[in-house]
Amino acid sequence: MSDIIDQLEHLVVDSTIKARGTSVTKRRRRDPTRPSAKWIAPARIGNEVGMALAVVLGTVGCSHARGDSGGCTMCSYLLDGDERSATTDELLQQFDAALSDLADESTPLSVKIYTSGSFLDTTEIPADVRAKILARIAKDDRIQEVVIESRPEYVTPEIMRETRDILGSRRVELGIGLESSNDAVRSICINKGFSLGTFKDSVATAKEYDIGVRAYVLLKPPFLTERDALLDAVKTIEDAAKLGVSTVSMNPINIQKYTLVERLWLKEQYRPPWLWTVLSVLRDAWDEVGSSVNILCDPVAAGKPRGAHNCGSCDESITSAIREFSIHQDVSVFDSLDCDCKRQWHHVLNHEDISLLIHSRSRRKPVGKA
Amino acid sequence: MGSTKVQTPFLVGPPNTESIMGYATLGRNDRPVGGSMILAVPSPIHDSKLLISGVREDDSLLLPSFPAVSFLGAEAAELLLENQLHFIDEVQGKVDPSRLIVRIPQQLGSEKLTSILTEFASLGVRAASVSFDGWLGPHDYSALSNRTMLPIDWLTIALGRISPSSVPLLFYLGFDVFDLGYAAESASRGVRLWNLSEESITGRILPRTCSCIACADHSDLRELSQDELHTVLLCHNLNIYQSILSESIQSLRLGKLRWLVESMGHSSTAATSLLRKTDKSLFAFLEEFTPTSGQTNLSLIGPESYNSPAVKRFRDCLASRYMPPNHKKLVLLLPCSARKPYSESKSHQRFIKAIEHAIGTTRSSVAETILTSPLGVIPRELERLYPAAYYDIPVTGDWDTEETEIAAEALVTHLQKFAESAVVVAHISGGYLDVVKSAEDRVSQSIVYTTDQHSPSSFDSLQSLQNVLLDMREVLSLKGGRPALFEDTLRATADYQFGPGAGEALVPDGAKLGGKLYRMVVCRINKEQTCAFIGDSGSLSLTLEGGRRLIPLHRYWVRFEGRKLEGGSVFAVGINEADSGIRPGDEVIVLNNQDDIIAVGRSEMSGREMCDFKKGQAVSVRHKVK
Repeated sequence: MSDIIDQLEHLVVDSTIKARGTSVTKRRRRDPTRPSAKWIAPARIGNEVGMALAVVLGTVGCSHARGDSGGCTMCSYLLDGDERSATTDELLQQFDAALSDLADESTPLSVKIYTSGSFLDTTEIPADVRAKILARIAKDDRIQEVVIESRPEYVTPEIMRETRDILGSRRVELGIGLESSNDAVRSICINKGFSLGTFKDSVATAKEYDIGVRAYVLLKPPFLTERDALLDAVKTIEDAAKLGVSTVSMNPINIQKYTLVERLWLKEQYRPPWLWTVLSVLRDAWDEVGSSVNILCDPVAAGKPRGAHNCGSCDESITSAIREFSIHQDVSVFDSLDCDCKRQWHHVLNHEDISLLIHSRSRRKPVGKA
Repeated sequence: MGSTKVQTPFLVGPPNTESIMGYATLGRNDRPVGGSMILAVPSPIHDSKLLISGVREDDSLLLPSFPAVSFLGAEAAELLLENQLHFIDEVQGKVDPSRLIVRIPQQLGSEKLTSILTEFASLGVRAASVSFDGWLGPHDYSALSNRTMLPIDWLTIALGRISPSSVPLLFYLGFDVFDLGYAAESASRGVRLWNLSEESITGRILPRTCSCIACADHSDLRELSQDELHTVLLCHNLNIYQSILSESIQSLRLGKLRWLVESMGHSSTAATSLLRKTDKSLFAFLEEFTPTSGQTNLSLIGPESYNSPAVKRFRDCLASRYMPPNHKKLVLLLPCSARKPYSESKSHQRFIKAIEHAIGTTRSSVAETILTSPLGVIPRELERLYPAAYYDIPVTGDWDTEETEIAAEALVTHLQKFAESAVVVAHISGGYLDVVKSAEDRVSQSIVYTTDQHSPSSFDSLQSLQNVLLDMREVLSLKGGRPALFEDTLRATADYQFGPGAGEALVPDGAKLGGKLYRMVVCRINKEQTCAFIGDSGSLSLTLEGGRRLIPLHRYWVRFEGRKLEGGSVFAVGINEADSGIRPGDEVIVLNNQDDIIAVGRSEMSGREMCDFKKGQAVSVRHKVK
């Protein structure tokens, strides 16, 4: 089996590169002094609720996606970045522009720094820029929590020590895309390019410096049935909790441009997860490990064809229940939800396993319908 | 499947439904209860071999695979099959391989598929499944096409979205098991399925009346609660599948399955395209299992009939096997008639009377050729054959372009078999005339038209026919001779049935022929009977002597692995070799393991099936060596 997985992985790599096309080399030029995105939203900070600033720095983009392996099957976040590396000054200007948005907010605050890649990868953010950005945060006492993101291969004891030294006693979380605790899923379905072992190592390394790990768990990579996906996500959250991560962020796939997943979706060979599945994963995982870790979920494009969706009439109420759950960690918000489309979802759970047919009805009308 | 015998075809659907086999996923549903089930082994991302211990003796297992992976191409599809082989290896000894079902991926080339399936067969696997997405487009065509490459003695399972109207087509292509997931899916969406359409039970439109056991008590389904409605719809939808499958089975027995397939093919444009594409591209597969004889009327209703296997095979066979006797100097083209055989129709009796009135005994030098759609041309000698004597078409007098071209093509091929000096007399009008006109440029003989656009059976036309024939007798210096109708008929029939050379072998010069064409004509050589022409079927029945005379042709033989036959049938289990040209319904010769003829009879399956099947009646014996 393992050599078959290896061979399949090669095919996935080829196909991912093909899907990527020229999108990476022909990225549109953007203002290098502005971040790719920034927003402020209420969030759970420790045991309180406060405001969180999220900033996406425009860098050259994820090394994995830029490289020969084509990147992950579902991700084209690097398209937010620029072909040209931003200069030290420009990167600092981007960060400052975002940080100034917090001027009127009061404690507790959280700052999340994303790059559409790895904040700790020095080809994206040079080491001195990283230190300066962290130092700017260190100066602001209102900021009690810092979240940064990186692939695990950039998590070294040196960088962890430096981060801890600069940020002092703040709660620091390192977001790492574990996606799945199943190596076969992570390689064939996601093309993630690292093993569970690498992830475990970085959790241990971070822990040494009292830096927590926020594990990103992917819901419904391609080449899985709806129920495969549901079970894999629950198992992954449980495994991540056992590995000692501090938070789990569960991310239902949304269809991004120039990805393998998009190509599959266009051919009706992929459907984003049902919101029922999202809800079911959250409930099942919370029942198992909710007491030891926070489980967050903010489904992108929920209710839309490219995001997790149901029948259209119940999507909004379910999505807001999911957001509610993320903030309060209370599964009872799911109790009153129901809709006729739940029967369809039950059928999909059962029948996709039997037929291995992706049950997608997003864009075409069924045959023979008047 | 395994040691359990299940009557095929059958339906498989959501578990705990009466009279339908249930499906479930290993380790993911409640422990199965009740009768045998089809269980899916979960995705290869999991190690499922330990789950196997939970499988009951009479459950079958769908081997593990990934959805959508064949999107990555043929190489990925091959890996999916290799992985299933690997799984079989892992569970060796724990489960009888005859209970395992291969999942056939899309995208794999036919050669590769065939060779990998040989490996599965050598491990004892005897069942495969293909998956349909229900759009009846390229994906579903490729699933059908994959089905034709499976070993013919395997159980084949159609999974995925299968609408009721597709069941006859899939059954026609040899599927044994049908997934009813679509019944459940539709019920979950509030949709009631019918043979040809779908009905959404919504607030605005009054639902149809249905007297099925599920719906009968509810005059208006809209008044039901969602839960009740779901129960009713699921039950109704399952009923629809049971009824359409039983209709398909009965149609097969009555020789009307093709008709049912064509009728259902009109449920949607996609269904029609799929059927046409299947007829065109999978003709060889379909033809192999299409009987060559029958007693039921063949309704050839529309364009889907033009190239149906029985029709196209008739045209092909006529083109390649019929040779006109040397004494035919004049080709007379006549229109077809609704009454079959043609010579028993009013119009043809008039034609025959006119011919005999004009040229009397010289009639034997006239090749009477009937033009018709969609069979093309039919020589008078073969008018009693199946399907020539059994087909029926909607008669309007208008021919569409496709049927005109089919007939023109057949006519051109037919006329190439006559000397250039022969004269073609076209006693036809309307659409038939268009056929001849469109063939004219490709015909080397001269053509004389007789009707002047009037009906061929009108007084004037018949008069004109007589005059032309009289002239032709002069021009071609036709001579009278003994009537040759029996001889011509039996020889042509022999050639058509057994290929070139058979006519001479069975009905040599000097053979004595006696009887009536509409009943029976017996052929004797030195008082020994070789064959008999049976008027009802328009075909020849062999005697052992006739069979012996056909042996040198090396056609239509079946080798029985023994010396002598007991009983009135030869079973497939006793046959390892047979002419691959044999079709169900053919007259065949049974040889023994020493190459002596031991019987003649009628085949009940194709030559390939006789070799590959382990059970079933292969030949019903007519005569055998005592």
